Amino acid sequence: MVDDVINEVNAKIRSYTNEHVTEWKNSGRPVIGYFCHYMPAELILAAGALPLRLRGAGSEDSSAGDAFMSGRVCTYVRHVMSLAVEGDYDFLDGEICLNTCDHVRRAADLFVKKTNIPFHGFISLPRNPRESLYGNLLKELRNLRVALQDHFGVEITDDRLREAIIALNRNRRLLTEINNMRKEDKPKLSGAESLSVHIASQVLPPDVFAGIAERLIKELKDRPGLDSPRGRLVMLGAELDEPDYVAVIESQGALVVADLLCFGQRSVLDPIDENTDDPLDAIGRAYFFRPSCARMIGDFPARWDNLNRIVSDARADGVIFTRLLFCDPWGAEQHNLLHRAKKGNTFPVLTLTKEYGIVPTGQLRTRVQAFLEKIEIARAKRDAVGGAV
Amino acid sequence: MTVDEMVGKPEWRSILESLPVIKRFFEGDPDSHGINALMRGMSIYLEKLVDNLERENPAVWYNLGFNSELIYALDGGAAALPIEALGVMHNLLGDIKISMDFIDTAQAEGVPSDCCSADKLAIGTLHRGLYPKPACTVGINTPCDSQVMATQVMAEMSDAPFFVVDVPYYHNDETVRQVAAQLEELIPFLEENTGRRIDFDRLREVCELSNKMTENIWEWLEWRKNTPLAQSSKLVAFTLILQILFAGTQEGVDITEGLKREALERTERGERFFEERVRAVWYQDPVWTDMQMYDWFEHELGLTVPIDVFGYYANEGLIDTSTRETMIYGLARKIANCHPMARQFRSNIDVYIRDFMHMLESWNADCCIFAGHIACKHAWGGIGLFKEACRRADVPLLVFEFDMFDPRITSYDDVYFEVDRFVNEIVYPRKLRAGKAG
Repeated sequence: MVDDVINEVNAKIRSYTNEHVTEWKNSGRPVIGYFCHYMPAELILAAGALPLRLRGAGSEDSSAGDAFMSGRVCTYVRHVMSLAVEGDYDFLDGEICLNTCDHVRRAADLFVKKTNIPFHGFISLPRNPRESLYGNLLKELRNLRVALQDHFGVEITDDRLREAIIALNRNRRLLTEINNMRKEDKPKLSGAESLSVHIASQVLPPDVFAGIAERLIKELKDRPGLDSPRGRLVMLGAELDEPDYVAVIESQGALVVADLLCFGQRSVLDPIDENTDDPLDAIGRAYFFRPSCARMIGDFPARWDNLNRIVSDARADGVIFTRLLFCDPWGAEQHNLLHRAKKGNTFPVLTLTKEYGIVPTGQLRTRVQAFLEKIEIARAKRDAVGGAV
Repeated sequence: MTVDEMVGKPEWRSILESLPVIKRFFEGDPDSHGINALMRGMSIYLEKLVDNLERENPAVWYNLGFNSELIYALDGGAAALPIEALGVMHNLLGDIKISMDFIDTAQAEGVPSDCCSADKLAIGTLHRGLYPKPACTVGINTPCDSQVMATQVMAEMSDAPFFVVDVPYYHNDETVRQVAAQLEELIPFLEENTGRRIDFDRLREVCELSNKMTENIWEWLEWRKNTPLAQSSKLVAFTLILQILFAGTQEGVDITEGLKREALERTERGERFFEERVRAVWYQDPVWTDMQMYDWFEHELGLTVPIDVFGYYANEGLIDTSTRETMIYGLARKIANCHPMARQFRSNIDVYIRDFMHMLESWNADCCIFAGHIACKHAWGGIGLFKEACRRADVPLLVFEFDMFDPRITSYDDVYFEVDRFVNEIVYPRKLRAGKAG
């Protein structure tokens, strides 16, 4: 049954760690945490370590993080850092931060100064995905490769990198197959279920995830499609790893049939060349030139085109944009998205500001209900005139 | 939009009409060379802006992490337009209500309320169509995520070619070299889109003016180390504006000459109209909405601010004008390592804390006032480590929240209250106890 697999997945992502991480550790292998989906997980895997996406799941309050970061930093980072400074992430053998945003940069400071984690890596990721800046990232990846080798006493050979590419490509293909099932007229799984699966892909050992995903795909093929009587939605935004939040949206009669969330579909790259002579370069290029997130300057036109393509492919009726309070890069994205949507009269957009770890059920339902009514009214008008509104 | 249409808009007219009045007002004090030079410099900037537009010279928009030299080096002239300019001018010279209107416009157009008011000023201005259409735009990722936001919106609203300068995270020579490589890319971009050439003899002249301005700033700030501080506290924050708007111009040299001369003369005369009881490093953001607040601090509390983070200009050397490459490298170093805020905010917290300790010691301060602009997440994100550093160094620290461009967030009364209590109940009694007061 699909529900059994999803329940199993949900049990594994309920907390910031899971039993497979413990097993991995118990087998004498290191675990390395990272914040951002721009971190090439292949590099960690090739060092013999488990890449673990940092989450605040299970954190009941962010007070330890607040003490160091104030209440003006996003709650995702504050919850993660609360766990970290309290020692909950001390099982990590290393952490790697990027200059993803101001909040993560400050988290990197805290990791170094206020935790017992032994290895700290850092990548300065250029803010604009153009060829002339790519060399700067490649240097960073080479430096990190050396730092990982030196600290963990392993040689990250090209062959090991290719093996890591193969392992993660397998999961990318499985996730793509699952995402394709969401686009069907009667989607095979909900947005909340899909988000759970995507999160699992970033916190489980690759082979463990692959086994689960293969079972899920098999079960999904036999599942009757789901109804979405009030509309098909695309969700867009940054760090959202709470399937319950998506479930509340879908509880109003709509289905999230595609997403561009950092923990969701945006985390899935196209497969990387497995036979390349220079696997580190292939990895770097795949990550740097991926469909960008809002921290990348000057790439909004490409993001807009990508969103339109996804809305069109998924035959979506509207877009729900979520942003964590205090996030500036996604603040700009909100402005630009609304600006273009208004100017081009493209698709309805609902913008939601949220806090990490809280699902404001009543408020969220009301906002989504109103949004779906707007979509329904537009659809009725369109049907009445027999053409586009 | 014609030039007449632009300057006829109330948002421009109000500045153009009020500036001469303010200029005449300050000219009543012939010893105030600094503020007088600033007013003259602003007038010339606006005259040149209008002149450039009347001549149909291209305009280049950019954001506040960028320095102006390369734009001034374009032959035949170009209008250098930092997108925050008009909003900031209204805070300092014009009508604060217009600034607040810009902020409200930006929020109405989708900018979240928790984002930086400096960006909202800029974005509100863009939505109201108050700037001439640019030939191209330059966006830089420093000093913080707020600027990332401003540049993304600038790119979207300008409908003009956009060039991104990415300053890496690290504080080292490799970073400067990477920025220099991007400035080499920027030059043909500017040339192609403005139809102007960067003549390297002209660039040398611009860099020499920039160097002269920088030397003046260093010398000026040296005079402000004197105890008691003889020059008004409020002037120090202007270093940032000078580097954004005047780097590479004669006006920049003249303004800094005025600031330096005023500090020197007042120090040598030793005259002050109040007793200096406490000296603070004002770390984080100035109260741009009411610079007169610093006068109140001085006269009512005996509190002076010899240095702040917007005023401090790190001495990492001048631009070497011997070759094209050395000039580009020098410009890159200015942007990455010297520009106020960009230096302290873009990297790890160590640079931020180290600079504070340097300011504290060199400017002989008694305490730190962390004036926390609510949207400066990089600073708030490091507040715990900063507090620890102050505690270890035994430095009294006041932390409060406010908005540097929006007086509706924290009232002036609340700021007065916090600073008053800090000075009179903590820092001054502590100095008395230590026998360091009076």
